[in-house]
Amino acid sequence: MLTEGVSLIDSRSDRVVMEPNATYWNPARKPTVRIVYDNVIGKDAGIKSVASGDGRVDVVFDLTPAEAKAFPQSDKGKIQTKKAKTILTGVFNENKPDSVWRDPAVRRAFNLAIDRQFVLDQGAHGYGTVIPAFIQPGRYGADPGMSPLPHDPEAARAGLEKAGLGGREIVIVASPSWQGVVEAIGQCLSKIGLSARFVSDRGDLPEDFDLKLEWYFDWTPQYPVACVHREFFGRDATLRQGPEDPEFDALYEKLLHTPEERTEEVVREVERYIQDRSKALFLYSPFTLFAVSDRVAFTPYDTCMSELAETRIKG
Amino acid sequence: MDAQATGDPGGGQPWGPHNTVTVVDPSPVNWLSITWNTMEEANRVDHDGIGQPSLAESWTWLDRETLELKMRGAVYQDGEPFNAAMFKLGFDKVQEWTNPHPPGAFLNFARDVTCEAVDERTIRMRFPGGDSAALMKLRGMHLPSTRFWNEWGFIDPKTGSAEGHW
Repeated sequence: MLTEGVSLIDSRSDRVVMEPNATYWNPARKPTVRIVYDNVIGKDAGIKSVASGDGRVDVVFDLTPAEAKAFPQSDKGKIQTKKAKTILTGVFNENKPDSVWRDPAVRRAFNLAIDRQFVLDQGAHGYGTVIPAFIQPGRYGADPGMSPLPHDPEAARAGLEKAGLGGREIVIVASPSWQGVVEAIGQCLSKIGLSARFVSDRGDLPEDFDLKLEWYFDWTPQYPVACVHREFFGRDATLRQGPEDPEFDALYEKLLHTPEERTEEVVREVERYIQDRSKALFLYSPFTLFAVSDRVAFTPYDTCMSELAETRIKG
Repeated sequence: MDAQATGDPGGGQPWGPHNTVTVVDPSPVNWLSITWNTMEEANRVDHDGIGQPSLAESWTWLDRETLELKMRGAVYQDGEPFNAAMFKLGFDKVQEWTNPHPPGAFLNFARDVTCEAVDERTIRMRFPGGDSAALMKLRGMHLPSTRFWNEWGFIDPKTGSAEGHW
């Protein structure tokens, strides 16, 4: 239960403190420790604290791949990874009516230019899993018959040249956390005569960008299309960079009115639809990365939420 | 929010470094993590990403429009019992607002959805036309105590509204 501080969408107290509820009904999730969210110390100092074992910080959430890679050898703390329900994907800029990216064949050609495993290894130190579309293999709604789009530079070159993109510099807007990924995409493009330019995402998009990289996560109980796919392609999507897609909206409506025991097949249909139409640049599912003190047994969540009921102090 | 405000009965163990875990969470959705650490819903999602019962111990679709949930016996930290009436109160509260959920309207129950506390433990919800997203929506329908509703109720003190503030 919350005993000090608040965390709102637009503000946080310096400290937020939660203490165990002594009467909680579920012994498996009954916390044994007080949790203090330190909202002052900052991420860099928090990571250093975990590595040094100075006792100020036990867990730091949401490390970037570069921060995880740079974590020093330490007998006081370590990097913990979680194959969470996440995606890193590129949203094509289809805002202008004459955008080449409105053509599924051009979007597919761009996808074929990318060696996803190379991008993951080179751009994110391997912290992730290449996935076919938006759902990880083995998860609810993943289609066992789907594979990631192939890396086919010659087909990519032909398709992009046909669209008038030969030799073009592709402008990619992304968080600084994903600059390495953009650079790795640029290396893939250089093999077919194109290049990539990284533009740091500061909230105001430049008018003429080609792609925007978006990280996103699924917190739902087996309902990924509402949380993730809809957010990119739906009528009320906040991440869509182009016109509405009535075919997607019809699939979503179909899902909403399908009895629960048959929804998984519709989720697979959505996955096939977005891959067939190359609705995005499909990349990979990033691991969530944590710096964790050795004195703590930390249980991360696939939802990316910092739920801490099971987190314990060792011994 | 002070300890009394949450219904903390007080008198617990002394806190110190030996039983305190300090975390740094820069996530922009930290507010949601705090909510899910301190509130409870009919269902939840476990650390492997799988839906699980929580304050509802089970549920069944009686037909394609009718969801019946069985609530477990539980007690809020201020001693108030949780029961089907508290679920119904949570539903009525969220339905007072047009768009209460920060992530968006996709979490809203349709205006014609109804909720009935059949007995102390049983809730029956009707979704005209069906809604396969019902359990996802229930994950976002928090079920706090009467005291929470009376003293806060997700109202933003700056605006006096709970729109986008659940």
